[in-house]
Amino acid sequence: MSSAVSLYLDPQIRDWVLFPITLVMILVGILRHYIMILLQSPPKKLPREALREQRALTRSQVLRSTAANSPIPPTYYKSISRHLSDAYEAGTYLKDGPPREGDAPKPPPNPMTDPAAMDGMMAGMKTQMVMMVPQMVIMGWINFFFQGFVLIKLPFPLTLGFKSMLQRGIETTDMDVRWVSSLSWYFLNFFGLNGLYRLILGGDNSADSSRDMTASPFGAPAAAGAQDFGKLFKAEISNLEFSEGVYSWVGEGVEERVLRRYGKIPAV
Amino acid sequence: MSLSMSLEKLATFRTNNTRASQETFKNASLILKTAKQLGDDGWAVLEQLFLASVDIGRLEVADQCLKQLAERFPDSPRVDVLTGIRMEATESPDVALKYYTQQLNADPANGAIWKRKISVLRRSGKIEKAAEELTQLLDTFYTDVDGWLELADIYTTCNQYILALQALSHVLLLAPQNPFYVLQFAETAYTANDLPLALKTFLVVVDMCERDIDSPKHKPAVGISVRAWLGIKLCSRRLMINSTPSASNTPIPKSLNLIEELATERVLEVYSSQGTAARRGQAAEGKDVVVGWIGAR
Repeated sequence: MSSAVSLYLDPQIRDWVLFPITLVMILVGILRHYIMILLQSPPKKLPREALREQRALTRSQVLRSTAANSPIPPTYYKSISRHLSDAYEAGTYLKDGPPREGDAPKPPPNPMTDPAAMDGMMAGMKTQMVMMVPQMVIMGWINFFFQGFVLIKLPFPLTLGFKSMLQRGIETTDMDVRWVSSLSWYFLNFFGLNGLYRLILGGDNSADSSRDMTASPFGAPAAAGAQDFGKLFKAEISNLEFSEGVYSWVGEGVEERVLRRYGKIPAV
Repeated sequence: MSLSMSLEKLATFRTNNTRASQETFKNASLILKTAKQLGDDGWAVLEQLFLASVDIGRLEVADQCLKQLAERFPDSPRVDVLTGIRMEATESPDVALKYYTQQLNADPANGAIWKRKISVLRRSGKIEKAAEELTQLLDTFYTDVDGWLELADIYTTCNQYILALQALSHVLLLAPQNPFYVLQFAETAYTANDLPLALKTFLVVVDMCERDIDSPKHKPAVGISVRAWLGIKLCSRRLMINSTPSASNTPIPKSLNLIEELATERVLEVYSSQGTAARRGQAAEGKDVVVGWIGAR
C-alpha cells in the first residue's frame, strides 16, 4: 500500500450518490414499516369450538405438570384424569364433534382449498411483496445510474478477503480493499440499517427487510394448519396414564411433616 | 400532586389490579383532558378512569371517557365490554343481557363479554343459567382461575359444597402456589362435612405458609396460618369426638392426638402473645373467647 493517496473522490459523489443512497434506503424502510401497519389484517377470530379444541390439551398439561406433588386429593385427581382420557378417547373436544362410526378418516386439509389457510398465505405474500419490490427498484436504480462508482474509503485497513464484499461491481484486482463500491454500499446498508430503524421506530418494527429474506410465505401457515388434534389427543391419553402412576398428593403425610417441624415427633 | 406521580400511582393500581376507585378517580380526572397526548399509556388510564367513575357513580365522567375511547378504537372488543358496563350502570339487566348476547353472537369466543354476561345473569337471580354458562366458558377457557373461583362461589351459595370442591380443585391445579385457595378448599371441605380432607388441607396450608420460617416453634403464627391452625383445631376436635366417614375416602391421620395438642398450643400462643407492636401491652382481641372455647372441651 503506497503512502500517497492513489485515488481522489469527487466530493460531488459524496453529496449526490453516497448520501442519497443511504437516505433513500432509510426512508424506504420507514415507509415499508407504515405500509406493513396498513396491510396488517386484524387477528382472525376463531369460532368457539376451534378455540376449545386448541386449548383442550392444556387441561391435561395442567393436571400433569403437578402430578408428582399434586395439590388435589386422590379422588379428585382420578376423576379429572379419567374424565379427560375418556373425553380424548371419544373426541369430545374435537372441533367437529366426536367422530361417528364408519366415518372415513379425513385427509389432511389442502392449503390451496382451505380458505383459512389461504388467508394466512396471502398475508405472507403481501409482506413478501412489500419487501421485494422496493429493494428491487433501489437495486436497479443503483445499478443503472451508479454502476462501478467508488463511493467511500474506509478509515481502517482490511484484508483481501473483504474485496468481494466491499467492491462488488468493480472488476479490479489491485485496488485497495478500503474503497467501497456503490453496490456494496447498498448491501452494507441493506443488512446494517436495522439498528437505526430500531432507534427510530421502536423494537418491533417491520422496516428491516433483511430479516424476512429468509422467511418463506408458505412456511408458517403450513406448519400451523396441519395439526391433527385427534392424533394429539390419542397420544395424550398415554401421558395421562403415566402421570397417574407418578401421582402423589401433597397432603400425603403432611401431618407428620408438620409435627416433625414442631418437634412433636422425633425427626428422622 | 404532579402528573408523573399520579401516572405512576395509576400504573401501580393497574398492575396490582387494585380497586381503589375513589383514589383512581381523583388521580385520573386530572388527566382526562390530556389523555390523548399521553400516548398508549393514556388510553389505559382512560379505561381505568371509566371503570372507577362507574364504580363511584360519576357517570358523566364515564361517558366522556367512553366517548374518547370509542372514537379512538371503533371496533375494539375491549371498548365493547366498556359499553356494556356503562349499560349495566343505568339500564335494566335485560337490556344489558340482550346487548351481551348480541355481541356474543357476533364473536362467540369473546371471553370478556361472556364473563360480563354471566355476571349479569348471576346478579339478576338466574343462578342456574349463570352456572350453566360459566361451565361452558370454563370448558373453553380452562385456565381462567377467576372463573373457577366464581363457579365455586356460585355452588357454595347454593349449598352444593361437593361441586364447589370440584371447582376449587381446578383452581388448585391452576394456581398450586397460592395458599389462600388451599385455605378456601379446606374450609369448603369442612363445610361439606368432609373432616379428614379438611384437616389434611388445613395442614397443607400451614405447611405452605410456615415453610420458610426457621424456628416456627417460638414464633406465634401470623396471617392465614392462624386461620389454618384454628381450622386444624376444629377438625381434630370434632374428629376425636366422633369420626365421620370422609366422602373423598381420605384416611384420618393416626397422630390425631398430637395434632390436636399442637393446634391448641399454636392457637393459644397467638392469642397469649402480647399482640403486635401497635397494641403491645394489652392482650390480643378475643383472647377470652378463644381460651374459653379451648378450655371448654
